[in-house]
Amino acid sequence: MIRNFRFRLVGVGVHDTSRRLYGAKSFFVSLSKIIMSSSWISPPTRTELIENLVSGVDRYNPSNVGILEDYLYHQIRSQEYDCLANLAILKLYQFNPDLYNPDVVVNILIKALGASPLPDFNLCISLLDERPPNAALDEPDPLPALLPLLHGLHHLLYRCRFPAFWRAYRSEQLESLRDNYTVECAGFEDSIREVVIRAVKSTFTRIGTDRLSLYLDLHSPEALKAYIDKLDWTLNSDGTVVSIPPNPDNQIEAIVVQESIKLPQLGKVISQAAKV
Amino acid sequence: MSRATLWSTADMDEDLAEAVDVQLSMYAQQGQNSAVYDQLGAQMEQLEPFLAIQQHMAALAAVPDVVKSFIVSFQQAILNHDLPSITMFYTTTFPKLTEKFYARTEWPEPEIIAPLLSSNEATEDQIHIFLVLYRDLYYRHVYSRLHPNIDDRFHSYENSCELFNYLLNSPSSADDESDEPAPVDLVLPEQWLWDIIDEFIYQFQVFCSWRSKVKSKTDDEILMLADGTGVWSSYSVLNVLYSLIQKSKINEYIIALKEEQGKGGARTAEEIAESISPYTALPLYRSLGYFSVLGLLRVHVLLGDFTLALKVMDQVGEFLLGGSSFGAKANKPSITALPTLPATHISTHYYVGFCYMMLRRYPDAIRTFVTVLNFFQRMQRMRGYGGYERKDQYDQIAKTADRTLALYAMCHSLVLPGSPFTRLDDNITNTAKERYGEQMGRMSRGGGDTLGAFEELFLYACPKFINANSPPYHDPETIGLMLSAETADSGEGALASDPTQRHLRLFLSSAAAQSPLPTLRSFLHLYTSLTTEKLSSFLDLAKLSESNREETAEDLEAEEAIQEMMVLKQNSRSVSRVVPAQGITDKGKEASSAVAAAKGSLLEGEMISTSDLNFVIDDNTIHIAESTVGRRYAGWFIKNTERSQRVLDEIRASPLPKPKPATVAAPPPEAQKKPKTVAWGGARA
Repeated sequence: MIRNFRFRLVGVGVHDTSRRLYGAKSFFVSLSKIIMSSSWISPPTRTELIENLVSGVDRYNPSNVGILEDYLYHQIRSQEYDCLANLAILKLYQFNPDLYNPDVVVNILIKALGASPLPDFNLCISLLDERPPNAALDEPDPLPALLPLLHGLHHLLYRCRFPAFWRAYRSEQLESLRDNYTVECAGFEDSIREVVIRAVKSTFTRIGTDRLSLYLDLHSPEALKAYIDKLDWTLNSDGTVVSIPPNPDNQIEAIVVQESIKLPQLGKVISQAAKV
Repeated sequence: MSRATLWSTADMDEDLAEAVDVQLSMYAQQGQNSAVYDQLGAQMEQLEPFLAIQQHMAALAAVPDVVKSFIVSFQQAILNHDLPSITMFYTTTFPKLTEKFYARTEWPEPEIIAPLLSSNEATEDQIHIFLVLYRDLYYRHVYSRLHPNIDDRFHSYENSCELFNYLLNSPSSADDESDEPAPVDLVLPEQWLWDIIDEFIYQFQVFCSWRSKVKSKTDDEILMLADGTGVWSSYSVLNVLYSLIQKSKINEYIIALKEEQGKGGARTAEEIAESISPYTALPLYRSLGYFSVLGLLRVHVLLGDFTLALKVMDQVGEFLLGGSSFGAKANKPSITALPTLPATHISTHYYVGFCYMMLRRYPDAIRTFVTVLNFFQRMQRMRGYGGYERKDQYDQIAKTADRTLALYAMCHSLVLPGSPFTRLDDNITNTAKERYGEQMGRMSRGGGDTLGAFEELFLYACPKFINANSPPYHDPETIGLMLSAETADSGEGALASDPTQRHLRLFLSSAAAQSPLPTLRSFLHLYTSLTTEKLSSFLDLAKLSESNREETAEDLEAEEAIQEMMVLKQNSRSVSRVVPAQGITDKGKEASSAVAAAKGSLLEGEMISTSDLNFVIDDNTIHIAESTVGRRYAGWFIKNTERSQRVLDEIRASPLPKPKPATVAAPPPEAQKKPKTVAWGGARA
């Protein structure tokens, strides 16, 4: 039975004010920002309310779980991502098992898949304590069935096995995942493509189009071309090879790490020589 | 006069008076005031309490005199705020007496020794506080030497709560009209304060792991657990730690210290402390706040939340881990304003390094481990037990250091060989190889047995994770389900719910993803440019025969190779707090900036490259560039020049040997004859 998704609508003002309207380039902006810097610790899309919740003691208050869950749904709808806030939800579930909502957990895990190769997915799993068997839920818990599948997907992403990932994702087995969860998550496939782009960008200076389309799961040449154009990558005249603009990772130089001797280090020697 | 035997009820009346008289006379000898006499007299009216008192008195007499005098003087010292004697009692006398008299039994119960305490002019409150502190020592002894039963666990929790309640919420003294809680007038040694917090968390951890073993509980215990759901709950433990931190305002204090340092101001640490809050001004609360931050780090790691653990250490972490080693930089007075104990140092670094490891930030983890292992090695060389009076304290620290070494060995194998970090400290690497050489060999070789070695070391070195919640004891149906489920598949069921196994699996999956990489690296070393077909053919040769190898088409193998290359690239970049200096490229340009100092919270960092082998794929060709470290000669030359200069200065400064009279006249005329000769400094003097 397909589990129905209900977004919980909270008072209007809170989240609408936070939603900044990015243009089409919005998720490319996030591409550069998903590195473990201060923007991973506190993303610019996080509101002050959430910031206070996550950084303070209020995060342990079970009545705040609603606010954090709504923030998660906001992330799902508008292609944003805030790892620490999602971890706060999982921690509340850890301490208050009756608040547990398997849909929320699956959504968090799906979002974390898009952050690979950062360890976000592992951090989420670390916080999922084992649950005692009980009949408290009105519907059977989908998580134990989905968890190994999600683990598998994550493992494929971490090991950069992108064609295998897309095959697994589109297979029969993951149909329930696709129908119930990822379809609700706006831009899920795009966020996976971002993972691919991150890996490809750092490893290649030029890459064949068929290989790239295999990785990105964009099989028609037009779709691929549109995607490449958005990234500002160029195609060669034949249309077979894509050039990737230089970035710190794919420009290699043989560096000889020499010691740089600074004047103060020689100060004593020079002053003694001057005395003589 | 021995009174250990129980009186039979028939003889009670007669012997009663005798017993009381003798006991009271003993008190009289000790100079008891009449209040005690009256108190005992009042209690004699009732039968049952009297029996209890009788037993207590019997037990009290069984207590050796040495112990009694120790308790009395201990209390006196606490009343007088006599810190040196309290420290001596706590660190030396108490363990000695434990060894001598109570090695296998419990210390006398608090009720038994209570009569002893009224001898000093102590108020009810002060006696009460001393009993709370005494119980702390009592339960610690029970937990460490004996097996606590469920009553012990519950009571120790109540005692800890009472102690913290007293520290945090005691009403202000009578002359202060406000209702605000005021700081407590108590002085305790730092070692004790750290032990209080440490023990509190340890008891919590032990309780959680005991609680999750549903099978081994008796029915009584199940009932008690069902009733006492608030005991040792995660929320209350966290509440205590957070309250201590908030009350003592330790984070604001550290921020103020840093500001003061930055401004170069003249305020001393004490002045700053007083300006923040009356609680901060007392070293008792400062130490407790500081230790609570470290305790919170530990609790979060035990519950599996690594980012929150690092976040909690925001202010403190920079102070502790920002690169300064223990005891260095004596000219910065602010650093000594916070307590530093070797135990806290080692424990904190262990947990922080473990968090970094689970976040896959191996360079940061390695740096943390190296700092603390260096410190520990220096400590080992100190005479005795590194300054500790008791061997068991030192043993505990040594065990943590050993586990840190195991974690270091694991990280060392996970950071690809050839990175600048593995050259960081050969000393520690050698120590690790001595201790864990066999596992390290298995881990870095890659191949089949890698994961086994990782698992061994991980299970040895990881903290004892806990489940935040108890099994639902209050729900008899579910408990019944669990019990029957456990008997059915006892092996697997228990393992699956074990948090340690969960974390182990996560770690192993990261390690497994890296196992093919050393082979790949070794091939790349040989070339500057390479085609992907050639690489995939190498990998075929390297792989052990797999059953479906003949079926895979060639381009699929090439594809596999390319994907492994992406993994290799991904793993040679890591987030690090400290960005190392880049060198000069062979084209002569200065590549990127100098060392960026480690600053900011512990979670921050930038991507850096951790491998000296850099490559890029140009459609189907792989270009490889290797970085090398040039010869470093400057340090050696500078050091030796300075040493030679020192020697020369010494020689010049030392007095000339007395010249013999005959030769005195000779040198001066010679010097005048040849003015152009280079004059040595010594001859001119």
